[in-house]
This record gives sequence, C-alpha cells and structure tokens, in this order.
Amino acid sequence: MTPQSELSDQELLARIGRITWFHSLELRPGIVTPGAKSLAVLRREEEALLGPFDLRGRSVLDIGAWNGAFSFASKRRGAARVLATDEFAWTHPTYKGLESFELARAELGLEVETLQLDPTRMDASLGQFDLVLFLGVFYHLFDPIDVLQRMRAVTGQVLLVETHQDALEREEPAMVFYPGRTLANDDTNWWGPNPPLMLHLLRQLGFARIYYRDHPHYLPAEGSRTRGIFAAILPGAEPAMSAHFGIEWRDLGAAGAMRDFRP
Amino acid sequence: MTLGPPLHEQVAALTWLQSLRLAPDLVTPGAKPEATLEAEAEALFGPLPLMGMTLLEIGAGNGGFSLAALRRGAVSAVVTDHLAWSLPGAEAGMATMLALEATGAPAQAMVLDPRALTPEFGRFDLVLGTAFFEQLFNPILALRGMSSVTGQVLLLETAQAALDEARPMLTATTRPMPYGALVSGWAPNPALMGPLLRDLGFVRVLHRAHPIEGAARGLYAAFKPDAAAGLAAGFGAPWRELAMPA
Ligand SMILES: C[S@@+](CC[C@H](N)C(=O)[O-])C[C@H]1O[C@@H](n2cnc3c(N)ncnc32)[C@H](O)[C@@H]1O
Repeated sequence: MTPQSELSDQELLARIGRITWFHSLELRPGIVTPGAKSLAVLRREEEALLGPFDLRGRSVLDIGAWNGAFSFASKRRGAARVLATDEFAWTHPTYKGLESFELARAELGLEVETLQLDPTRMDASLGQFDLVLFLGVFYHLFDPIDVLQRMRAVTGQVLLVETHQDALEREEPAMVFYPGRTLANDDTNWWGPNPPLMLHLLRQLGFARIYYRDHPHYLPAEGSRTRGIFAAILPGAEPAMSAHFGIEWRDLGAAGAMRDFRP
Repeated sequence: MTLGPPLHEQVAALTWLQSLRLAPDLVTPGAKPEATLEAEAEALFGPLPLMGMTLLEIGAGNGGFSLAALRRGAVSAVVTDHLAWSLPGAEAGMATMLALEATGAPAQAMVLDPRALTPEFGRFDLVLGTAFFEQLFNPILALRGMSSVTGQVLLLETAQAALDEARPMLTATTRPMPYGALVSGWAPNPALMGPLLRDLGFVRVLHRAHPIEGAARGLYAAFKPDAAAGLAAGFGAPWRELAMPA
C-alpha cells in the first residue's frame, strides 16, 4: 500500500495539531506526532514487547490501540492481519483516537483493520488471534478479571499483557484497588496487580506458560518496578512464534521465579 | 407428604454441608455444626429487622441461613447455589431440596451463578452470600449481579486477607472446600469493601469480625440508597461503619 493522503504538509500539521497524541508517530520524514510517549520510548517499548515474537504471516489483535503505534509496528513486523480496537480513547473529545488512528494509517499506508469496541464487550465471536496485545489496559478496568477472561477467549496462541503493578512486596497473589483518583490523580485507574496475581489469573484461564519481564522504563535498578510485561502462552502454541525470549524474560512457573520481586 | 422412605433414612443417604434441624429429633449430619451455623446466623441477622423481608441467598450450601432467616421473620427465600450443587457427584442440591421440603419453608431452590443476575431476575429486600469471595472466580461480576437485585441490604460473610494492609486489597486464594474440591477464589481486606461496594451502588457499609473465627473472616452489611430508614439502627458494636470515599 502507498500513502493515500493528499494532504499538504501544512494541512497534515494542522490536523495533527487538533489532536492530543499519546504515541509519537513519524508520519512523513520530519513530521512526528507530538505524543506523550516519545519516538525513543516507543522504540524501546516495541522491542521489549514484540521482540520475542515472529509475527510473519500471523494475526494480531491490539486492544486499546489508541493512536496505533503497536498495531502499525505489528504490521511492519510482517503480521498478515492486524485488527486495532479501542473505544475510550477513540471516542474521547480531545484524544480523538479513531480520527488520529485513521490519519496515521492513511499516512503510513499500512493495511490495518479497525473496530470500535470496548474490551468489556469482546467475546469469542471476534475470532481468535495468534497474538493479542493487551497493553496499558488491565489497570484501567473496574473488572479486570472479566476482561482478562474475554481476552483469553480471543487469544489463539499468546496474550501479551503490559500493566501498572503494585503490592510487589507481598508474596501472595494480590491486587490493590484505587478508588476515585487514588492512583496518579486519574479516575480511570482501578487496580494494581502483583506478578503472583497475574500468574494466578493467567493460569486459571488455561495459559500453560507465563513469562515476565520488567518494563524497559520502569526497571528495579531505577528504583521502580511499577510496570511489568507478561507473555501468556496457550498449550499447543507454535514454539516458533515465541522463540526469542531473551535474558530479560523469566518463566514465572520456575522455582524461585518470584523471589527477587520482593525487597 | 409423599409416601417414601422415612425422613431420617433419606437424610442419612445424603452428604450434608450444614447441620440443619429438620425435626425436634432430627439434625442433618453436616460438616458445619448446628451451633456454628446458629452463631453465624445470629451475628448476621441479629441486628436486622427481618420481619416481612424477601431473601435471595447466593452460594447457599444446604440453605441453612435461608431457613434461619425464615425462622426470624423473613417471608420468602430463593435459595441458590452454583458450584456446590453442580460439581459431578455433588449431593448438596438434593440435600437442600429435601431440607426445604421437610421444613415446609416458603422457599424455592435453584442453581444460579450470581454473575448472571440482572434486574429482570427480581428485587429482594435482602441478598445474602456466605463463604463468599473464596469460591468465586470473579467476585466483582458476582457482586455487580447481586447489587442489581438488592432492594435494601446485602449481607456477606467471607474469608479475609491482607489485614496488615491499610490500602484496599484483594488477594487470590486456593482452598479445599467442604464439598471436596480445591477451589480458587479471593479474599478482600476490610479496607477494600467500603470503596468497592460504593462503586457497586451501595451507600453505607458496616463490618464486623466473624463471631467464632475472628478477623480471619469478616461480615459485611451494605445498604442501598433506598433502604428503609432505620434499617441499620440495630448494628451496634462490634459492627463498625467503614469509611466511604467521597
Ligand atoms: C495507557 S493507554 C495504552 C495505549 C496503548 N495500548 C499503549 O500501550 O501505548 C490505555 C488504553 O486503554 C483504553 N481503555 C480501555 N478501557 C478503558 C477504560 N475503562 N478507561 C480508560 N481507558 C481505557 C484506552 O482507550 C487507551 O487506548
């Protein structure tokens, strides 16, 4: 696909300027959307999140895609089919997420499908995707247990969860509840799970192996581990799809895997 | 009464979760002793004017709490369970039907997963769940369903955890259940219950420790905005009001 856009640079900049961006996307040489996440941050996140997977020819479902950075990255990494979904940010009056996504998609000339649907209403009728991206969404849900169960229903092989986490000092599986604006003064933040809790829930849902890595920007060395990445693999998943878990990743099912989470 | 084996023989042929007095000289041989059940029923129902109330019980086991509420003045009960009545070989459902029939209680039994509750199911003055969080895959969804059918007050009895935590917290647990299954579920801390139930439509939440097991288990009474005035008046110490976020 070639770029469909007939906008002049001026027109493109004007349209970019009407939107509050979360992702910095280079839409044309030198034209980058002013996202809260910089290009450099997104590059590191993309490598941490998608690095382990061979996406060539596979299907990817992006939940809470927002401006689409990880949908576009999946397509560029060779995915045959990418379905980007969102509702909150896509219908938000200042985020104008769907408009932003469509603008970026047209500029980048990538073939990515969209569906405006909140994860709280997704089920198996959506089909199953080799890789489901559930990035930055878990903690925004009042009932993350229900939505994680829905994510299981649309996962064909691997569910990738990136989330805020909390209660790292506790050995037992636990999640902290944030009423109102308790967390980051944001009333869309509800729960902070610890890694044992994610392991427990994902196992309950039938995932066979669960790998964890620290988020590249929230590292223990930097005094914080408040976000983590979980790759949950279904029994019978193709080994070749998830063959590249580097040393940053640990198998949470292994003996002692939880030990160094606690101070 | 239909003709059949005498009641005591029918009772003896079943496995019981709760010890229920079906006749002056007949108590079902349940895993939970009659005195424990009565102490829990007194702690839960003692403060509440049950006279004339309709009851929905979730996870009823053998329905002992529903029978206790009916003895204390409730007018009708819908007695439900899910796991304990539907696991392969589980006799608790049959046992419950027998207990309801033998006592002639104005109660109806049915298999019900509380996650499926919607307002169309009806509206009950009192909704009750005991041994609640510890047996549910998704207590949030179950509570949402139960809130949608609660007219006045929700009573919960549950395992608790993370009591050392001031922050609201939900802990995942895996425990053996009296009906012979290892069940995964949850345990809240008291700090969670005010804010969580507030977000599920309750305006006031009262709490006390379990009358026998202390703080390892907790009792909660949560009131809807249109609960009758004075309904909570009987909840003196050891009940205490939980702080609700603004
Ligand atoms: C932190 S952003 C993450 C965006 C992108 N996946 C990433 O990782 O960069 C949160 C996303 O969750 C979505 N979301 C889903 N349900 C939500 C809810 N109830 N409240 C807020 N955001 C929600 C938002 O629309 C948004 O796209």
